[in-house]
Amino acid sequence: MIEFRDVSKVYKNGTVALDGVNIRIADGEFVFIVGESGAGKTTLMKLLLREEKATDGRLIVRCDKQVGDKVQPTVYDLSKISNFKVPYYRRELGVVFQDFRLFPNKTVFENVAFAMQVVGESNRVIKRRVPAILNIVNLTDKQNSYPSQLSGGEQQRVALARALANNPQIIIADEPTGNIDPKMSLEIMNLLVKIHKRGKTVIVVTHEKDLVDYFKQRVIRIRDGKVISDGVGGMTV
Amino acid sequence: MKRYRLTYFLGQSFKGLWRNGIMSVASITVLMSCLVVMGSFALLILNIDANLENLGLLNEVVLFIDETKTPEEVSAIGDKIRALDNVAEVTFISKEQALEEERQKYSEYSGLYELVEGDNPLRDEFVIKYEDNSKVSTLVYQLGQIDGVAKVNNRLDLAMSIEKIKNSISLVLVWFMAILFAVSIFVIINTIKLAVHSRRAEITIMRYVGATDWFVILPFIFEGIIIGIISSAIAFFIQWYIYGYVVKMVDGTFDFLKILGFNEIGLLVAVIFLGIGVVTGIIGSTISTRKYLKA
Repeated sequence: MIEFRDVSKVYKNGTVALDGVNIRIADGEFVFIVGESGAGKTTLMKLLLREEKATDGRLIVRCDKQVGDKVQPTVYDLSKISNFKVPYYRRELGVVFQDFRLFPNKTVFENVAFAMQVVGESNRVIKRRVPAILNIVNLTDKQNSYPSQLSGGEQQRVALARALANNPQIIIADEPTGNIDPKMSLEIMNLLVKIHKRGKTVIVVTHEKDLVDYFKQRVIRIRDGKVISDGVGGMTV
Repeated sequence: MKRYRLTYFLGQSFKGLWRNGIMSVASITVLMSCLVVMGSFALLILNIDANLENLGLLNEVVLFIDETKTPEEVSAIGDKIRALDNVAEVTFISKEQALEEERQKYSEYSGLYELVEGDNPLRDEFVIKYEDNSKVSTLVYQLGQIDGVAKVNNRLDLAMSIEKIKNSISLVLVWFMAILFAVSIFVIINTIKLAVHSRRAEITIMRYVGATDWFVILPFIFEGIIIGIISSAIAFFIQWYIYGYVVKMVDGTFDFLKILGFNEIGLLVAVIFLGIGVVTGIIGSTISTRKYLKA
């Protein structure tokens, strides 16, 4: 569960990026966040990734993790969280960027494995888990390829696989189809829907009207730092 | 149990050193030069100390007893000396012992000593070690006042001159150290900054996938440590060579000079070099990665 309660963000130069935003995203939801350039989408993402802190209000993220037979909830209050705990919070998220942000000198396998190395996962687990994730994004046959040998769509699938590597509950995709052709865009979105069906909360920040209209999911529209609409349907809502 | 692998961090550190080869070499060279200069001064000071000790110039007064005094009176004088302030240790050397020592010291002139056989011209003496140099004048005065004391010898003037030279060298050493240490740290900071800069995209991704501060900065800290270790190892061997060369030149030139062998001080030099090298590396890399410690 993600909850923005009256969240505002004013930058040091006086720019009001978010102004009293209230959003509640339940576990397992699929949400599009849309808006024009400068509307406040990026700031919203930065707050969610805890790159920035809200000036006002509270941003609470609750993650439920399956530990054995039990579900263990962890609550992060991002307005109060210490820098020390931020890395542990980020492990609950999987992030996909418009520009993929892959390591050009690492293979597909190594790019995905890297996310697991960072959290101290053992080689045994990495060797078992990476092929399974690559299978989800249909890249099993490309695991030894380098990013430069892949198409834009394939690179974004690698980024998606990396986002899934540590089995996060929340997937955040920032303009995931911005750098790829329409056919591949649809494929990426279908993958995100597939991941959503596995019980993940998926948040997609985009300005691509066609995709938003096509998938008919909840759409949160932002303008001038404020939520101007929130509902199921397309961008026209 | 999740564990980070040391090999990962070391691998990243060596890659960083390799990528910024020129700066890495510059850091190693500067730190190594600093260590060699510091080591040379330190070895000079160690040798001066050893020579002062050898000559018995420091913390020592020799007191000669009037030859008319009986052994009982000499013993009483000894007690009076021991009761004085600033006296650490008193050693009695009888005139017979003194003659024997002289005879052994100048064995090539043994004929001379046969002339004085039965009529020992030397006096009984006390060798007094004291604690505080600054109070030695008082002690010398008090010793002179004891009845039966014929003469009080001390080489404080010479000892003090040598001490002064030693202190001046130490002062120069400290300044040199401070300057070279600062330069070394500055160069290391720049080397590590370059390494951080070339990996900034990687660091950003690390942050997003939940890397802790330590995971991000440890390779750079290791890089600093590796620079320190390599510098200290090279500096040690250069110091060894230079010291050996100087010893070869000086040894035997002056009989009274005592020169420490490198085997006596080598371990100390190695440990100090390694300690300074590693600490400098850690300080340099910590400063350069500090700003990356924000979430």
